[in-house]
Amino acid sequence: MRPVRPRTAWKGLLVLAVVAVITVWAGFGVQVDVGALIKNFSNAADKVVLLAQPDYGFFPETLSALAQTLQMAVIATAAGAAIGLPLSFLASRVTDPSRPLVAVVRSVLNVVRSVPDLLYAAILVTIVGTGALSGVIALVLFNVGIVVKLISEAIDAVDRGPLEAALATGATWVRADRAAVLPQILPVYASQTLYVLELNVRASTVIGLVGGGGLGILIDQVRTFYRYHQLSLIILEILVVVVLLEAASSWLRKRLVS
Amino acid sequence: MTSTGDRAADITFRGVGVSYPGGVRGLQDIDLRIPAGEMVAVVGLSGAGKSTLVRTINGLVPITEGEIVVGDRHLPASRGRELRELRSEIGMVFQSFNLARRARVIDNVLMGRLHTAPTWRTLLGAWSRDDVELAMQALERVGIVDKAYVKAGNLSGGQQQRVAIARTLAQQPKIVLADEPVASLDPPTSHTVMRDLERINAELGITVVINLHFLDLARRYGRRLIGLRGGRIVFDGTGEEADEQVFADIYGRSLTGEDVLEARAQL
Amino acid sequence: MSAAAPPVRGKQGPDTDIRARPVLVRPARPRRPGARLVFLAVTAVVVLAFWSVDIDWSQLAGFPANLLRYLGLMFLPPDLSTLPSAFEATVLSVQMAWLGTVLGIVISLPLSFLATAGVGPAWVRWPLRGLFSLLRAVPEVVIAVLILSVTGLTAFTGALAIAVGSVGTLGKWGYEAMEGAERGPSEAVRAAGGSTAQMLRWGMWPSVQPEVLAFWLYRFEINVRASAILGLIGAGGIGKVLADNVQFRIWDAVGTLLIVVVVVTVVIDLVSGALRRKIITGAWR
Ligand SMILES: Nc1ncnc2c1ncn2[C@@H]1O[C@H](COP(=O)(O)OP(=O)(O)OP(=O)(O)O)[C@@H](O)[C@H]1O
Ligand SMILES: [Mg+2]
Repeated sequence: MRPVRPRTAWKGLLVLAVVAVITVWAGFGVQVDVGALIKNFSNAADKVVLLAQPDYGFFPETLSALAQTLQMAVIATAAGAAIGLPLSFLASRVTDPSRPLVAVVRSVLNVVRSVPDLLYAAILVTIVGTGALSGVIALVLFNVGIVVKLISEAIDAVDRGPLEAALATGATWVRADRAAVLPQILPVYASQTLYVLELNVRASTVIGLVGGGGLGILIDQVRTFYRYHQLSLIILEILVVVVLLEAASSWLRKRLVS
Repeated sequence: MTSTGDRAADITFRGVGVSYPGGVRGLQDIDLRIPAGEMVAVVGLSGAGKSTLVRTINGLVPITEGEIVVGDRHLPASRGRELRELRSEIGMVFQSFNLARRARVIDNVLMGRLHTAPTWRTLLGAWSRDDVELAMQALERVGIVDKAYVKAGNLSGGQQQRVAIARTLAQQPKIVLADEPVASLDPPTSHTVMRDLERINAELGITVVINLHFLDLARRYGRRLIGLRGGRIVFDGTGEEADEQVFADIYGRSLTGEDVLEARAQL
Repeated sequence: MSAAAPPVRGKQGPDTDIRARPVLVRPARPRRPGARLVFLAVTAVVVLAFWSVDIDWSQLAGFPANLLRYLGLMFLPPDLSTLPSAFEATVLSVQMAWLGTVLGIVISLPLSFLATAGVGPAWVRWPLRGLFSLLRAVPEVVIAVLILSVTGLTAFTGALAIAVGSVGTLGKWGYEAMEGAERGPSEAVRAAGGSTAQMLRWGMWPSVQPEVLAFWLYRFEINVRASAILGLIGAGGIGKVLADNVQFRIWDAVGTLLIVVVVVTVVIDLVSGALRRKIITGAWR
């Protein structure tokens, strides 16, 4: 006998309907107005022409901001990776025998991770003043969240045998974790640190938009004075830096994990 | 390399029982005395409780009834520190070696020094000369000192198990526990590893308790055989006393080729 | 301690006899100049960055106390009377993120089909892949600044910026998933005389669908954060309200806003994460 066709199609339709409803609702929320967009855009055609012609003469003036962007990225990566490593061990059930502590560390970091880096920067700018320091602190907060998530996941997946052996020698948890688990995650740690550096270079180019130092401050300036030639040069610089760094980093990362 | 310290480390089980979470009985009514310096083989079917038995001795499996006395230390230990001190006197060799494969051999052996070295040294990996010397001697004793700076994961199975034995030697233990140390090795390598264990027992006077699946190995290397079945001791005597009837008691059937290493090797 | 003769004698290889073992020489500790060089270089770069950057590190001394003071101002207690407006602003941000994600999907899906090896011709494939890398390289905020500087600041243009920013990653993930998919079903459709569109729909899509849906959800999680950031530069929503309150130093309102951001983001992450797991593993966990 032929089976009855299972009725699962309604599930797909339901999901589609829900997605459509949310999308329409979101459309009303953000006041979609394609007419205005097209009008604005045709008015702005001259700006696009300006953007297409970077002002290379502006380059020397961007150098110090570019350097600051890179400095911030390096500092934040180093600090974030250094702070994140011990916290990662506290955040994994494999290396941390205290369940409550694992839960506390994880949830605090979940909260820390849920706030975007530029929001931190916007607030920190008023607390420590405009400049690179507020940007660095914001990046470090953001980095610690990511490092702990990635590294504690790597620790969760580690072979527990060596740890058991180390504990069986009478070592304390801290020492056993150091001797038996750290060597296993070191390549992942190095590779993820490079990944965080990539993220930081991107983030530190824009963190200045809210006063956090680096190229972002420059973007903000040229944007408020409608200097489109210069804006496009800065964006070109960001592009080059990010692409170069990503190429170098992914090459290194491939070598690390193999 | 001195091993037997001031106290003789006899192992005494008094009415020991282990219930795992979920109600599985790992061990029941174990009364057992293993004098210092003995070489004991524990045999039994899979699930008989061999691993449970040796793991209770260093507290890796907490006992739920009775008590174990090792030297003058008591289990269950009341504090973490007491347990760690007990463990520092007991080395353990695992079936799957349990080496940090990405770390070098010497770093693995130095794990045996974790309990005594100052914390900053263990965290930085800045081991003292004495500790490194001890680790090197341990490696020399098992004959693979030439691999000291090789990554542990790059060694063969037998070499890895010898590194694991060196790790226990670096602890300068009174007792070495071995949970099926040769189950992952081929027959010739098994003998090399068993002989290493035999030698540390004979030369250093270290008590050795070995779980073995294969009877011929157990009879050959164990001066004393302990047979487990269903978490209880069903035989305790020398290899010669262990006749066909005894094996039938332990295994619930007569001996087959599966239970003998040499026979299996010829299959 | 002489033992009884072992009852079983096994055959032994020449190297299994311990006493016959050759005396081994301890190896010298290997020097690894390459590793050392890398270590020194990394250290030098980090030290140089700390030392040369235009930051007065002594400022950090007062930072913890300062931070505690401001945390107190924000959260002891937060001004809960601003809760409704904070929530409203967050909803706008989420709407921005949702619309941006949907637009990004609509744009990227056909593009990633075209960028898949064996589907689009090479002269389409490679420029598309270049476009994806380009879009991925530019931070969303920069794309937003570009779009906003041309068309002005509204929530709608913010959503557009998010859409464009998403096309790079969505496109790349899409073609990578399709190239990683098993070849069999696609070949079967081809063998049955199917067109390229039919092959995509019946050969390719079923095997990559879970992965691609999971990517979409994940991108939405990222975009929720991105939309909050876009608010900071004027696109509206939670970011804008937060920037305003920070500017006027209404700290207890900032506290409320942060709480709302955290709660909404964590809830969205949880729901989206659960959905992703369900999609990938087929079971609610
Ligand atoms: N962690 C655990 N939780 C629950 N039950 C366990 C656990 N470890 C062992 N057991 C049970 O306890 C009993 C004894 O197990 P044990 O591992 O000691 O046997 P074994 O003799 O070492 O077997 P094998 O030769 O397979 O290693 C078995 O029934 C086993 O299922
Ligand atoms: Mg076992």
